Amino acid sequence: MHRTGPIVELVSTISDAAETIQQLDTSQLVKHLVAAIGADSVKSGRLDQHLYAKDASVLRGTSSVVTLPRCTADVQAIVRTCTANGFSFVARGSGTGLAGGAVPLDNAVIIATARMNAVEEVDVENGFAWVQPGVLNLDLSRALLPYGRHFAPDPSSQQACSIGGNVANNSGGPHCLAYGVTSAHVLAIEVVMADGETVMLGGLDAEPSGYDLRGLFVGSEGTLGVATRIAVRLTPNPPIVKTLLLDFVQPNDGAATVSSIIAAGVVPAALEMMDQRAVEVVEAFANAGYPTDAGAVLLVELDGMADGVAADVETVRRVAHANSVRSVRVAADDAERDLLWKGRRNAFGAVARLKPDYYLHDTVVPRTKLQEVLEKVYEIADRYELLAVNVFHAGDGNLHPILAYDSREPGVMDRVHAAGAEIVKASLDAGGVLSGEHGIGLEKRDYMPLMFTSADLAEQDRVRSVFDPADSANPMKVIPSGSRCGDFAGHTGSGHTIPEGAWV
Amino acid sequence: MSDSVTGTFNIALGLDADSLASCVSCGLCLPHCPTYRVSTEEMSSPRGRIALMNEVSRTGVGDQSFIDYMDECIQCMGCETACPAGVPYGSMMEATREALAEQTGYQPRWRRSGFWFLGHPRLLRGASSILAVLQRLHLVPSRLGLPKLPITRPRLRSTGEDVIVFTGCVMDAWMRDVHVATVEILEALGLKVHISGDEAPCCGALQSHAGLGGQARARAAEVVMGLKGTASIVVNSAGCGAQLKNFGAILGTAEAAALESRVFDVHEFLVTRLDDLEALAGERDAERQRVAVQDPCHLRHVQRNHLDVHAVLEPFVVPVSLDDEGLCCGAGGAYSVMHPDTASSVRDRKIDAIGRTGCSMVASANPGCMMHLAGGGLDVRHPVEIIAASIGR
Amino acid sequence: MTAVEHESVVAAFAEEIGRSDPVAVVGAKTQWLVGGEPAEGVRLVRAPAGIISYEPAEMTVKVRAGTTIGSLNEELGQHRQMVPFDVDDRSATVGGVLSVGRSGIRRRRYGHIRDFVLQATYVNAVGDVISAGGPTVKNVSGYDLCRLMVGSLGTLGLIAEVVLRCVPVPTASRWFTYDGDPRNLDASLFQASSILWNGDTTWVLLEGHEADVESQAGKCGLQPTEGAPLVPKHGRLSKRPSDLYGLTGDFLAEIGVGVVHVGVGHLETSGAVEQTGARHLHRAVKERMDPKNRLNPGRCPIL
Repeated sequence: MHRTGPIVELVSTISDAAETIQQLDTSQLVKHLVAAIGADSVKSGRLDQHLYAKDASVLRGTSSVVTLPRCTADVQAIVRTCTANGFSFVARGSGTGLAGGAVPLDNAVIIATARMNAVEEVDVENGFAWVQPGVLNLDLSRALLPYGRHFAPDPSSQQACSIGGNVANNSGGPHCLAYGVTSAHVLAIEVVMADGETVMLGGLDAEPSGYDLRGLFVGSEGTLGVATRIAVRLTPNPPIVKTLLLDFVQPNDGAATVSSIIAAGVVPAALEMMDQRAVEVVEAFANAGYPTDAGAVLLVELDGMADGVAADVETVRRVAHANSVRSVRVAADDAERDLLWKGRRNAFGAVARLKPDYYLHDTVVPRTKLQEVLEKVYEIADRYELLAVNVFHAGDGNLHPILAYDSREPGVMDRVHAAGAEIVKASLDAGGVLSGEHGIGLEKRDYMPLMFTSADLAEQDRVRSVFDPADSANPMKVIPSGSRCGDFAGHTGSGHTIPEGAWV
Repeated sequence: MSDSVTGTFNIALGLDADSLASCVSCGLCLPHCPTYRVSTEEMSSPRGRIALMNEVSRTGVGDQSFIDYMDECIQCMGCETACPAGVPYGSMMEATREALAEQTGYQPRWRRSGFWFLGHPRLLRGASSILAVLQRLHLVPSRLGLPKLPITRPRLRSTGEDVIVFTGCVMDAWMRDVHVATVEILEALGLKVHISGDEAPCCGALQSHAGLGGQARARAAEVVMGLKGTASIVVNSAGCGAQLKNFGAILGTAEAAALESRVFDVHEFLVTRLDDLEALAGERDAERQRVAVQDPCHLRHVQRNHLDVHAVLEPFVVPVSLDDEGLCCGAGGAYSVMHPDTASSVRDRKIDAIGRTGCSMVASANPGCMMHLAGGGLDVRHPVEIIAASIGR
Repeated sequence: MTAVEHESVVAAFAEEIGRSDPVAVVGAKTQWLVGGEPAEGVRLVRAPAGIISYEPAEMTVKVRAGTTIGSLNEELGQHRQMVPFDVDDRSATVGGVLSVGRSGIRRRRYGHIRDFVLQATYVNAVGDVISAGGPTVKNVSGYDLCRLMVGSLGTLGLIAEVVLRCVPVPTASRWFTYDGDPRNLDASLFQASSILWNGDTTWVLLEGHEADVESQAGKCGLQPTEGAPLVPKHGRLSKRPSDLYGLTGDFLAEIGVGVVHVGVGHLETSGAVEQTGARHLHRAVKERMDPKNRLNPGRCPIL
C-alpha cells in the first residue's frame, strides 16, 4: 500500500482496532447522568452513539453516551459526572466541522450544545449580545437584523454551524477578509472547566484585566473547557454593499487580480475565487448565471459608504481589466447578490455532483503565491488520479482544495490522504500555515510538527494543562501526543497515547 | 404508533447504493429540517437519518429506535431543497419505510386499514358525515385537530372537458368548499370544468409516505385509468399534485409518465392566465388586505412552484412571505395525527413566523397544512377561496 | 541579512535573557509604570530592532520588537499602509506597545491592537525561543499564544519579533467637533475612527473616501477642527460604553469603546474587574509558564 503522511499512518494503526472495540459498560455512567440532567437529555442507544461519533469530516471515533444539556448547570453536572466516572468529554455544536474536532476519541461523552440555542440579550449601545453556544450563526445574524447589526464571521456553513463551534474553531468565512475572524468578535465567554467550575473569560469592559484568556480560548477546539455563554460583538450593517463577479479565461489572471486589488489599497469585504470545475457544479445547484466556460471567477464584495464603495468598484474594474478580465458583472439588487452567494456558500456540497465523496483541505499561503500553489495542487491531484476542485477565500490566501473521489473505489483513501499530505507540505513550503479556519482537530494534529518546533508544542501543551490537567476536555486533539512532557515543574502528561477508535 | 419491537431484527433496506453514498454529511440540511429544529438531535435530522440508513444497510440489523427515527420524519423535503449535493432523500425515506412496512411491524394492521380507508372517498365521505354529527355533539376530542367537518356538501357538477379538477379523498370529504372556489374561478375565466370525482378517487400520497407502496400503486393505477384524455388536470392540494407528478416513477408505465405532464397545481395553472385574473380583479384597492402566505412543502420543496401562489394572489390581496425559508408547518399529511406533540412544536415555529408578518389571515394551498394551522388557532384560507371571494364580490 | 543571520539575532536575545535570573525588558519606557515597576535590581534587557521583511501585496510586516512605531509606520507609509498603533510618542517600541496591550484612540474603527498580531516569537522563562501563530493573515493552527503575550507586560515571555497585519492609510482623515449628545453620533456614524468626549465637547475622527467624510460630517452637523484633543495621561479607566455618561472631572472618554483617559486628581483610578472567578486561572497560567517568577517580576497584569 502507498502510504505517506502522518494521518495515513494514524488511520491505519487504528482502523482495525475500532471494529473490535470492547462493548464498554456505560450503565453506571448513564444512570448518574440521568440522575443529574434527566432521561430526556441522555441518549445511549447504539444508533445514537453511531451518529455522534462523527462530524462533517471523514473521521469517525467512538462515543459512550450522548448528552443534550439545556443550561450551564446541566453542562457542569455532565462534566462532573464524567470526571467522577473516569470519562472524558467532547463538546459538539452542529457537527459541521471538517477537521474532526468534534469526533469523540477515548469513548468520550458527547456534550451536544444544540439545545442551548437562546439569544439571551442584545445590547446595542454596548455593542454585544449574550448567546448560548447552540445558536446557529445565521440565526444570530437574523435575530440581529431588526437592530441593523450582524455577527461578522460567516463560515460557508453559517446556516448550520453554531456560535459555540465558531468559538472553538476561531471560524472565518468570506467576510473575515475585512472584518476579522471570530476572535475579534467575541468579548467574553462563560466556560465550564474540566473540573466543573465556571469561569468568565474576557469581559464587557473596554479593557478587562489580566491575561487575554478569552483570546486563548477562542480556537482552542474544545480542549480548554466547554463554552456555555458567549458575548459576541455586534457589527453594524454597512449602508452600501456591491457584489461583483469577475470572469477570467486564464486562472492565473484571476490570481494576479487578487494581489493587485490588495496592492491597489482596496481591502474588499470578501474576495473569493472559484476554478472552472467549481463554477460548473455551483451553477448546476444555484442557477445563478455563473459563466461555466470561465477558467476562473472572482466574487468581490465591497461595502461601506457610497462614495468609497463607488471608488473601490472602479479600482477593481481597472485592475481586472489590466489583468484581461472577460466580463465584470455587478449584482443589480439583493436578490442577485444572494443568488451569487448561494452558489459560493454551497460549493463544497455541490462538488458531490462530481463524485460521491470529497476531502476538503484548508491551508493558507501568501496571496502572492496563490497561483504557484494552485498549480502544484492540480499537479498533485493529477499524479494521484484525483479530481481537484478549488473554491476559496483568495483575498486572504486561504486555499480550500477539494479532492473529489468515490470511497467505494479500492485503495482510494490512501491516495486521498497522500495527496492531502503533499498539498499541506506545498502550502507550508510556500510560507503558509496548516489551517486557515477549519482548525487542527484530529485531521491535522500530526502535521503540527511541520509548523512548530517541539519547544513550541510543549509550550502550547503547558498552557493547555493549566486549564485541563487530566486531559479530559476533548482529549488527544490539536497537539500530537509526543509533546506531552514539557512541564517546567516536572508534571507528567496524562496517560493517553495513540487514539483508539478513530478511523476513516 | 407502531407495535414496539424488542431487541434487534434483521432487515434488508434495499436502498440504491449511489443514493446512500451521495450524502457527504456536510450538515447544511440541519436547519432546514423541522424535526431537527424542534429536537436539535442528530437522530431527527436528514443527515442523521441517512447515516442510520447507511449503518442499517451495512449491518443488516435494525431495532425499534431505527423505526422510531425513520417514522419521525415529516417528509417535507425541505432538506432536498437545501442539499447542495442533490441527495435523493425523499425516495430513500419512502423506500426505507416500504422495507420496514414489509419486513417489520412498522405499519400494523389498524394503520394499514386506516390508510386503505382514506383511499376510498365514498366510504370516507360517509364516515365524515357521521363524524361531523359527532362533532356537533362534542364527542370528538379537539386535540385531533380536525376541522369542523361538513354534514352535507355542496354538489359539484361537470360542465365540460376544457380542464379536469382533481377532487381526491380527504379534500373532497372535508373541504369541498375549496373545490367549489376552484371551479368558480376556472369558470369565471371561461373554462368548462370536468369534476374527477369517483372516476379517479385518491392519488395515494398518504399511503406512499407511510411506506405502503402496494396501496399507493393501486390508487395511482386507478387515477391513471380514470383520467384518460388530454385535458389539463388541475389540483388544489399541494400534496396530491406532487404525487400525481410522480406517477411515472411510482408506476413505471408510459401512460403514468404521460399523465404527469398534464398535471398542474391550481396556482401554476392560473399563473398562465394572470392577465385574465388581473382583469377579474379590476382596480386594486389602496387598502388591500395583507395575507401571510404559508408555502406548503409540497409546493415549495417538491413541485417548486410556490411563487405562483404569491403571483396569483397579488391582484386580490397583498401576499406577505414568511421569513422562515419554507420550514415545514408540521402537518405532513397524516403526520400531525400520528405525532401530535412534534407536529405541534413544529407548528409553534410557524405560528411565530406568521405572527411576525402582522397579518391576521393566512393563505395555505394544501389541505393538511390548512387543518393543522387552523388547529393552532389561525384564520386559514385556501388561496382559491380568497380569490373566489374577491371575484364574487 | 540571511534567514540564518535573522535567527542568530533571536538566539542572541535568548542568550542575553538566559535561563534563570530575574530579568525585565525595556522599550522606550513610554508606559513604564503600567502594572507596576519591575522589582529593584532586576537585570534589564532590550529587544532587537529592525524590520525583517515587508510585503506590501501581503499587507504583512515582520518586525523586531525593539523597532519604534514611528520608524515602522514611516516604512509602511511609503506604500500607503500602516499599523494603527496610535502612540503619543513615536519612540514607543512595537514590543512595548504590545506587551502593555493598550489600543490607541482609533480602536473604534480598527479594533484592538491584539488583532494585528499574526505571529509572535518570544523567549520563555527557561530561555527557549517559542514561535506562536503563523505568518499569514489568517491562521488557526494551534493555540493562539500570541493573544496571551499582548497585554501580559512581559510576564509570560519576552517578545523578540512579530508578524503584524497592516491596513491601508485612508485617503482622507479629518477631525471634527460636535456640540450635541455623543450618543447621537455613536448611533448615526458608520465606522467613525474615533469619537472622544470630555463631558462637554465631542471630537470625531472620520476616515475614508473624501466625499464620504464630507457627507457624513455634513449629515451630522460636525464642525471641522484642527486635530485631536489633548489626551489626559494620568490614568486610564476601563468601562462599558454605556457607563461613560456619568463621568465628571478631567477626562476624555472613547465613545463606543469604553476607555476613559483621566487627568490628575480624578477620583476613579481603575475600572471594574470583569474576569470574576477567573483570577486563580490567570495566576495559574503565570505560575505554569514562569514558575520562578523571573520574567518582569514586580509587574502584574492581574488586578
